[in-house]
Amino acid sequence: MPTIETRRVVITGMGAVSPLGLTADELWHGMREGHCAIGPLRHKDSDALRVKIAAQVPETFAPAARINEHMLPLLDITSQLAVYASYEAVEQSGLDFTHGDLATRTATIIGTGVGGEMTHDEQAYRLYAEKSSRTHPLTIVRLMANAPASQISIAHGLRGPSFAVASACASANHAIIEAARMIHFGLVDVAVTGGTEACLSYGSLRAWEAMRILSTDTCRPFSANRRGLVLGEGAAIFTLESLDHARARGATILAELAGGGMSADATDIVAPNPDGAASAMRQALADAGLNPDDIDYINAHGTGTQANDVTETRAIHAVFGDRPKHLAVSATKSMHGHALGASGALELVGVIGALREGVIPPTANYDQPDPECDLDYVPNTAREVKVDAAISNSFAFGGLNAVLALKKAP
Amino acid sequence: MTATTQEQVFELIAKQAKVETGKVTPQSTLKDLGIASLDAIELIFDIEEHFDIHFPEQQGANFDTDTAQSLVAAVDQALAEKASGEGTK
Repeated sequence: MPTIETRRVVITGMGAVSPLGLTADELWHGMREGHCAIGPLRHKDSDALRVKIAAQVPETFAPAARINEHMLPLLDITSQLAVYASYEAVEQSGLDFTHGDLATRTATIIGTGVGGEMTHDEQAYRLYAEKSSRTHPLTIVRLMANAPASQISIAHGLRGPSFAVASACASANHAIIEAARMIHFGLVDVAVTGGTEACLSYGSLRAWEAMRILSTDTCRPFSANRRGLVLGEGAAIFTLESLDHARARGATILAELAGGGMSADATDIVAPNPDGAASAMRQALADAGLNPDDIDYINAHGTGTQANDVTETRAIHAVFGDRPKHLAVSATKSMHGHALGASGALELVGVIGALREGVIPPTANYDQPDPECDLDYVPNTAREVKVDAAISNSFAFGGLNAVLALKKAP
Repeated sequence: MTATTQEQVFELIAKQAKVETGKVTPQSTLKDLGIASLDAIELIFDIEEHFDIHFPEQQGANFDTDTAQSLVAAVDQALAEKASGEGTK
């Protein structure tokens, strides 16, 4: 068999709309400053709902600022966030998709947990509550889970492989790994990838309430007094390209996406399993050619639930040893909430910031050590320290795990 | 004669655990009866539906170690709150 020549993959652009702001820079600065964007839930049914807090994108989000008036009516909020963020990422990268055959050599792969939930909820209300016999004619194109990927491909004229990846809370990381592998193995030269989610609908919020894992005060990952997760929303989109492609055009490289690891627990549909999580971390390290000792920072999945934080801590110990030295772990969901299918993408902005600036974003709202969570969680205040390599964990309902391994820009 | 709260709760627990109602004692924990994780959440849902009540938030962490008797007490409390008009929505 012929050997396959593989290529290094780098990140050259990023964009984000998140509870911490309307750009990737604002998201990073918010994380670095330890700002918590969790607040009272803004929802038309908030009086009736038992869930009272969330991390929502700012009310100043104005999609028309970037998305043209012909496209906008076709987009559910999930796609609006993704397309909006994609403009920022592409702009930063300096990529010109009209040049040569670049458009056909560019993939668009976007993770989302549930797709156009807000549209689905709104149209279901028309049918079942208002007893209308018609839904809006654009219901299908707005709610389909591949809409964010399709709309980004249309917005930028990207004609390579494009599809959605769904793995609940690991969707973004799975999408990013898939995109990176396409470049790694030479199927494409560039990829636009990331994750998006906006599912704070009445029906979805009721469903989360019934699971009884939502916090009532705030999100306190790894803290003994943690009471559950806080739902969020947002999108972060990146441009990836082969190292050679980026160098040839003189692009500014933000970080190297050095590897990825994926696994399934194959045990319980919700209860996390440390073996599955550890397996994904080990694979990410091996794929990136890194040893556990090389890792300075782990951006944890860190949801703030009882089960995740203990299980994740055990999994980290399994991979990094009993007393990992110089290993900092932080959960930025304490600040931007749990944006589900977008969370890995929002967190990647934090990892890139840590690699570029040598500042590890903190775990906010941490105030009570838990004997079962005994790592260095960078409590409440960012830490200045050189970060050469990092991993970013995402573990999903369904027992699906996806871990990114990042290195400082070469 | 109508069944007591305890009889009704034990019946719901037995149904979820797929055991005879007689196997459920006040001291049985859900874990003892093999009710864990999502099964416990489902049981809580069944109890809430049956009595038309809402348990307060933040019980999720210890459902598995809850005893059958503590669930009966929680139902009684929720029913009392409902009767006094303080029930949550």
